[in-house]
Amino acid sequence: MKMYLTMAWRNIWRNRKRTWITASSIGFAVFFACVMQSMQLGSYERMIDNSVRFFTGHLSIHQEAYWGEKILDNSYDRDQLAGLPMDPDQVMLSVPRISSFALASSGRQTKGVMVNGINPQDEAAMSGLDEKVVDGVYELEDGALIAAGLAEYLKIGVGDTLVLVSQGYHGVNAVGQYPVKGLVAFPVPELNQSAVYLSLSVAQRFYGAEGLITSYSLLLNSPGQMAAAQQSIEAALDGSELSVMNWREMMPELVQGIELDYYGGLIMIGILYMIIGFGIFGTFLMMTKERTYEFGILTAIGMKKPRVQLMVSLEIFFLTFLGVILGLMASAPIITYFYLNPIRITGDAAKAFENFGYEAIIPFSIDPMVFYYQGVVIFILALMLGIYPILYVKRLQTIKALKE
Amino acid sequence: MKRILLLLLGMLVALMAISQPTATEIIEAADQRMQGESNRGTMKMSIVRPKWTRDITMKSWAKGTDYSLVLITAPARDKGTGFLKREKELWNWQPTIDRVIKLPPSMMMQSWMGSDFTNDDLVRQSSIVNDFEHTLEKDTTMMGYDVWKIVLIPKPQAAVVWGKIEAYISKEKYFQLIFKYYDEDQYMVNTLNFSEIRMMGDREIPTRMEMIPAENPEQKTVVVYEDFEFDVELSDQFFSLQNLKRLR
Repeated sequence: MKMYLTMAWRNIWRNRKRTWITASSIGFAVFFACVMQSMQLGSYERMIDNSVRFFTGHLSIHQEAYWGEKILDNSYDRDQLAGLPMDPDQVMLSVPRISSFALASSGRQTKGVMVNGINPQDEAAMSGLDEKVVDGVYELEDGALIAAGLAEYLKIGVGDTLVLVSQGYHGVNAVGQYPVKGLVAFPVPELNQSAVYLSLSVAQRFYGAEGLITSYSLLLNSPGQMAAAQQSIEAALDGSELSVMNWREMMPELVQGIELDYYGGLIMIGILYMIIGFGIFGTFLMMTKERTYEFGILTAIGMKKPRVQLMVSLEIFFLTFLGVILGLMASAPIITYFYLNPIRITGDAAKAFENFGYEAIIPFSIDPMVFYYQGVVIFILALMLGIYPILYVKRLQTIKALKE
Repeated sequence: MKRILLLLLGMLVALMAISQPTATEIIEAADQRMQGESNRGTMKMSIVRPKWTRDITMKSWAKGTDYSLVLITAPARDKGTGFLKREKELWNWQPTIDRVIKLPPSMMMQSWMGSDFTNDDLVRQSSIVNDFEHTLEKDTTMMGYDVWKIVLIPKPQAAVVWGKIEAYISKEKYFQLIFKYYDEDQYMVNTLNFSEIRMMGDREIPTRMEMIPAENPEQKTVVVYEDFEFDVELSDQFFSLQNLKRLR
């Protein structure tokens, strides 16, 4: 066996040019597939991270009926969460919120808005709300932060008074006036037209819901811990009227959107595989044709065909392995670079991105799965194409081969 | 002989007509009993839900069908909140934000103070006399009273949300006993039950009203009159926005 390995290894390096051509065609395949997949997964990761941080958290604890009917009457006492297992290795941040609708008014303008009672520090850490302030200060106390688009509609600015009218917990009359402390700009028009932030305690007083919250969102250190964390919290909440949901359950439209896009991406990658496959096949074809005389000599001096086949397959294995390693080595630094410095889009394309509510960047993923999966797929692809030289050897007629 | 018989018959018909008031007269009389020319009182409203109840106490003033004023006195967070009705308009005074809000038509069907009553119920309470055609349907007995059942169908041009109202009014003293509200498709929406007939001021009236929505029979809103006076002296100026803000 050792002899075959030596022979195969020497054969590869006998014709260096040919070897490098074959290896680099495989390497390019791996490189392109990795970059493409990394971009795709990167954009999903960012989408998920943005939504999770902004809306739901990886996990969120609600009163059971809340998700079906998002009304204040389905809120719960925050004290019920005392004694919940919060493993600091898993849970990075936990954010209480109370959210409901209200009518916002200023002067003659009135608009329906979403009022969120938040803890400013927690919220800044979770969703970076403080970075979205475009006017005034990020500070709540007894005041309000309102979305920039809403401020424009209501024709109010920092220092003006915002009047909120709504129906609170158990249908109580909820009215209040709050000085506007700051304006926050959101890329998503829906949010930018309707978001109002009060501090948690002020919002609770406004809605007559002292001590109550509608959701308690948890941000985990890594999405991979979600299942375990959900299980332990679920077990702890068993028997209470509270339930815990993960972001996949809470944002099915996001999950489905990603799935749809992912399968679209698979088709693209499939086409890429096909093009690459023919390229690799071409080099294999060249390699075998070139060596017909050599194979003829080997069989003529008595080497059994299966042994020739074994030698050829070892060569192909080496070549493919070399190619995949080359491809991974080439893509890793580039992907890492773009992961750390995402490509920033400017101009009209950037506007289009922002209208969809995304940051105008092309993010990359450094999920090891990208490299592993693409490496393995192309490795298998090349090995499958390697069946051709083996079949070629099998059908080889010594006399004919020697006449080449 | 024939002529005498005819005369007797005529007299009989006339007599019957006198003893049997028309449907409109009955509704008018019943409404008059509950409202008087003007009235003033305090009442307690309890909003009853399967898991919780909430009490609101209030003072109210009313004059004729056009003017009424309600001032919330408890709970503390709502204290001072007032509602003023002038003709078909409803105004809401919110002391916490120092503003008077005119309730737009779009808010008329919304719940009043979280109860089973709508803002519309507050404004249109008395229009049962003017906005409907009344027909006597049949006589029955309920709660120990002989009652008339009267069907109220809105007049074509009237701005009324109901498709039909069935009113049960006692023959003796014209007590309102039950009102059933139907929508345009003749589905029952609400039932308003009156009970606990007691002396209030100068007259006997039902002092407890229960509004039960047909869709959620396990919830209801109960209004109990704690004290009530009728035909009190109230000027039109009393029902002004200025006074709404001033009242305590």
